[in-house]
Amino acid sequence: MDDLSLLKCLRAGDSSALEVLMGRYAARVYRLAQGITRSASDAEEVVQDVFMTIYRKGDSFEGRSALGSWIYRVTINAALNRRRGKRQEVETSIEENLPAYVEDGHRAGDRTYVLADWSQDPEAALLSEETRGLLNRAIDSLRDDYRAVLVLRDVEDLPNAEIAETIGESVASVKSRVHRARMALREQLTRHLGPRA
Amino acid sequence: MTCREAIAKLAEYLDAELTPEVLQEIDAHLEICAPCRAYVATYRKTTELVAKVLRVELPEDVKARLRAFLVGHIAHTK
Repeated sequence: MDDLSLLKCLRAGDSSALEVLMGRYAARVYRLAQGITRSASDAEEVVQDVFMTIYRKGDSFEGRSALGSWIYRVTINAALNRRRGKRQEVETSIEENLPAYVEDGHRAGDRTYVLADWSQDPEAALLSEETRGLLNRAIDSLRDDYRAVLVLRDVEDLPNAEIAETIGESVASVKSRVHRARMALREQLTRHLGPRA
Repeated sequence: MTCREAIAKLAEYLDAELTPEVLQEIDAHLEICAPCRAYVATYRKTTELVAKVLRVELPEDVKARLRAFLVGHIAHTK
């Protein structure tokens, strides 16, 4: 059954439609919510809010865009609302973690640092508790809106154009934010994982 | 092409969204620039690691609580 028909059934009180919609969207909503809020309990409340919105306002969804995009939009708004007042706790300026260049446009920095390539390190080391912890702290330090596009692009694998439509911004802005977030995280991983002595 | 110009286009390079001319310029730069080759490899690996770290599953107990809450709400508002 397609999404629009499921929404109608849900509105009519059919809980089996709820089951199908949960199967299609609950895990994605949870991932996006947790990616933005960085809290399992907040993510759970966001999922509840989002499904209540789907139930209450699903009939206002006109089907001009995909239901998935509408649900992602509702999720981002709910997660950002929950984050309100909690921002700036650990957020740092992304500029501190972008690559530096010398005047002629080449990378600045120690030669061993700019040559550091940890990409072939064993997966066990790259996903060790220590590295995961570092990466999680680096993700925490991104702005909420950077984390939102990062999850949609790199976890949910959405095309840039669909993300742009979902968040109501230009494709260029989405691309720039995803790229800057990845560069900032890469920089922090490189400080931790390379260069080797 | 400089490192700054190559790195600015890296996401589009990996998404194969560049024109053949720009693609060729970046490939030519990478051929001679070891720091940028390291940058591309670690940037690509970063996206893989981030996806793994952020790809959390919906816990069964959360799903059960959500279902109970919504079914209760639907029954109540019928």
